[in-house]
Amino acid sequence: MPDLSEKPGLLFVLATLLPLAGFTLLLTVAAIRWALRPYAAESPTADAVFKALGGEVTGRGPAYVALGSIALAFLCCVVGFVWFCIDAAHMHHLEHDIRHYEAEHAEPHHHGPGKAKKKAKDEPADEAAKEKAAKAKADAKTKHDQNVGDYNRLTKNWEGALEWARIFPSKDNVADTKHGTLLTLGFRIDMLSAVMFVMVTLIATLIHLFSIGYMSEELQETVEDHEVHTAHGHYHRRGRYGRFFMFLSLFCFSMLNLILADNLFQIFVSWELVGICSYLLIGFYFERTSASNAANKAFITNRVGDAGFIIGLLIVWTYFGTFNFQEIFSRVRCPERDADDVILINEKPAGHSIVRAKTDRVLKTGRFVKLDSNGDVALIFPRERIMGNVPGHFHGPSSTTAVHDSPRSREYGFIPYWLLVVAGLGIFLGCVGKSAQFPLQVWLPDAMEGPTPVSALIHAATMVAAGVYLVGRCYPLFTPEVLLTIAYIGGITLFVAASIAMVVTDIKKVLAYSTVSQLGYMMLALGVGGWTAGLLHLLTHAFFKALLFLGSGSVIYGCHHQQDMLKMGGLFDKMKITALTMLVGVLAIAGTPFFSGWYSKDEILVAAFGFSMTHPQHFLLFLLPLVTAGITTFYMFRMWFMTFTGEPRDEHVYKHAEETPWVMTTPLVILAIFSVGVAWGWPPHDPEHSWLGQQLHHYSQPAAVDVDFKASHELLHGTPSYHTMVGMLALAVVAIGVAFALVLYYYNVLDPNEAVEQFPGVHKFLLHKWYFDELYSALLVRPGLIFAHWCSGFDTIVINGFVHLVAKWNMFVSYVSGLFDKGIIDGSVNLLADVSYSVGNWLRNVQTGYLRSYVLFLALAAMAIWMLLYAWATAMGGP
Amino acid sequence: MNELDPLLGYLCLAALLFTCGVVCMATKRNAIGVLIGVELVLNGANVNFVAFSRYHPNFQVEGMIFALFVIVMAAGEAATALAIVLNFYNNHSTVDVDSADELKG
Repeated sequence: MPDLSEKPGLLFVLATLLPLAGFTLLLTVAAIRWALRPYAAESPTADAVFKALGGEVTGRGPAYVALGSIALAFLCCVVGFVWFCIDAAHMHHLEHDIRHYEAEHAEPHHHGPGKAKKKAKDEPADEAAKEKAAKAKADAKTKHDQNVGDYNRLTKNWEGALEWARIFPSKDNVADTKHGTLLTLGFRIDMLSAVMFVMVTLIATLIHLFSIGYMSEELQETVEDHEVHTAHGHYHRRGRYGRFFMFLSLFCFSMLNLILADNLFQIFVSWELVGICSYLLIGFYFERTSASNAANKAFITNRVGDAGFIIGLLIVWTYFGTFNFQEIFSRVRCPERDADDVILINEKPAGHSIVRAKTDRVLKTGRFVKLDSNGDVALIFPRERIMGNVPGHFHGPSSTTAVHDSPRSREYGFIPYWLLVVAGLGIFLGCVGKSAQFPLQVWLPDAMEGPTPVSALIHAATMVAAGVYLVGRCYPLFTPEVLLTIAYIGGITLFVAASIAMVVTDIKKVLAYSTVSQLGYMMLALGVGGWTAGLLHLLTHAFFKALLFLGSGSVIYGCHHQQDMLKMGGLFDKMKITALTMLVGVLAIAGTPFFSGWYSKDEILVAAFGFSMTHPQHFLLFLLPLVTAGITTFYMFRMWFMTFTGEPRDEHVYKHAEETPWVMTTPLVILAIFSVGVAWGWPPHDPEHSWLGQQLHHYSQPAAVDVDFKASHELLHGTPSYHTMVGMLALAVVAIGVAFALVLYYYNVLDPNEAVEQFPGVHKFLLHKWYFDELYSALLVRPGLIFAHWCSGFDTIVINGFVHLVAKWNMFVSYVSGLFDKGIIDGSVNLLADVSYSVGNWLRNVQTGYLRSYVLFLALAAMAIWMLLYAWATAMGGP
Repeated sequence: MNELDPLLGYLCLAALLFTCGVVCMATKRNAIGVLIGVELVLNGANVNFVAFSRYHPNFQVEGMIFALFVIVMAAGEAATALAIVLNFYNNHSTVDVDSADELKG
């Protein structure tokens, strides 16, 4: 194993592999137990091993294994994160110095030596000063080279790759720059993945802890499932405690691998792995029809998205020949400075932008490449000249470029612009599926059939955010058209989901729709140039939504699996810790100042505001999130009030409700602390200065974002008062939301039911979730079923009929052939035999066995012979 | 014709003897009777040989020799046949040839 101090990035690899080790251990033990169970009764040895590995029901062992592995992973991540922060700051300084040096020395290089000579002639030479300047220049050069070396070394510390599969058999083809030949397993840590690592492992650890309590019912030898009715009453089954933690471990590994990956293909593999974990855990109570249906729905809906993802992957692979993010970006996005050319569009440097061109207009006049700006192809930049320089993602110094001055390095590739758009849309479609965005949002609310910790971990904090993460990761690949689509999809989703969340009464469904809505916020942010805002919201949302889900889990556990808020109420006295921590979560998601949600949501609104100011035709992209901020506040407070305040609505539930044990409340408290403070910075009243946001902004935000949204960013930087204005607007809307919730559900000034009766149509529309399920059922599921029935009919009638016909015809031919065989072939042989037999039988009569008859025959025969001879002799002419 | 006149008588006698023998063989149920018939047939033939030896110049020696052969052979045949009859009697307590039908097809 390589030295950690040389490759500290391996800490994160270790963190990824730990849950995999946990999973493998649990799976092996489970497999051995499964194999031994039938023999345990017969063989004492088998019984001893079986008992040693946990017996019929495993006890808490698997939970400790899973928790241990993820907690260790968390520790690795924390160490790695701190280490990375130090390195990142160091790299930031180096980069600054390098850029500074380059800016100073670039000028004469570009304007050619002619000018410099002229200057030298004008000024009389001062030898000493010149020498001094030369020495300073040499020193600066040495320093610069050292800086570049350090910078490259530090970069290498945080990345690595293994060859996985090579498509060309020969190793000599490595140099083939045009075609993809190599799949790698690699990692590359940047601030985004480092922060995500800490977030995922921390939340996963807490949720493992919570699950130890929440899943304790599964410890019993037989669990009675109250929701499954069989002919003999409720369904009984063996407890599945171990299985739950096994799946959780697999999920953690997959999720961490997704964050770790430095290439799209590895992400795709992890993407499917988290998908299958989600499927397995949604269908954890698979005996319930609703759960197995929900699992199928989630899986199938995600397939739709993944189809798009694959299309995107294919286009990328075909045109860029690689899945590695850094390489893709460096090929899509224009480098700031190519080895010795500056790429100009309309006489302006094109650094970090996607360059559209007309194939016949790529001109190379001396040092400059001149391009037309609105052609139908996008330029693919050659791989060699920009290796090491990552114009898409980092502001990497361009002088680190390893330029191979081979003729090929001057070759530019092309991709039809529309294909680049399709690739972006395809990858985004994958994200739409995974992050439950409109129009594929239908699966997430149903996914609440899984156990609550699963909803918290997979369907709120991590997996569904993977779509947002991937959009953030692939950002430089997206063209403006794709970004606008992302923004609109996000905008539609956040509004639709929030509107539905206002009317549902299942406590988990409220949170599910809220999750969909918040994911919409993130997508919107990414689409309008708020890259940092969107991903910061991903992080803060992960904490407070995990908190809210675990809180709801605690409520559900405390109320003995009652999920309907219409049966709750007044639970504050019974479960104070849960109520208070959930209140923190509600305040955070509502965007109360100084709670984490406020920082990120404010940033999103500001970005959206900037975008709609510069693109007034897209004013909806600001209006929707603003209005929805109020709706969010309303439905979250509605949920809290309905659950914890007022009169108990159901005496039975209230009487048996109780606070949950410490394993479940501890994670709540820890998550509450993070929900408040995870986005804090200095000064705390300015969301711009959130520490986490700053980290993401400085170290991870692709340089392309500033290029693509130059206008809106300049507008926002130019007028700081816009920040305040948007912030105030948001607060006002939030206040209105709180007011409505208070009036309707706390003070009961207005009866909610009466309010509903005022708008029966709207209420029904929302209660039916905008009729999405019905629409899909009518448009897709039903035609699908009809088509399937038709196919099945075709199969039974035509295909089967044909097969049967052929079989019948075969039987007939065989029958005739059999007849011929029996009648003619066998018949002739038998006839011969029969004739021989009957002749023989007849001749038997001659053999009487009587001596006398033999003598008689002899005599008669002799006489006959004699007479014949005689007759013959007479016939021949007398004696 | 004249020299052959006496021969005709012998030949007739021989034919009579032969016929008697054949009839005896075909009709007798007693094994001994059958044997007697055989002797008659043989001796009928012998008479022919001897007669031809006496009256036909071409068969003077051959007739004698064949007659002697037939006598010797008849003696052997009689011995063998009697042995068979004795054994047959031992097994079946009878000498009725009709009961010896085990060789029938």
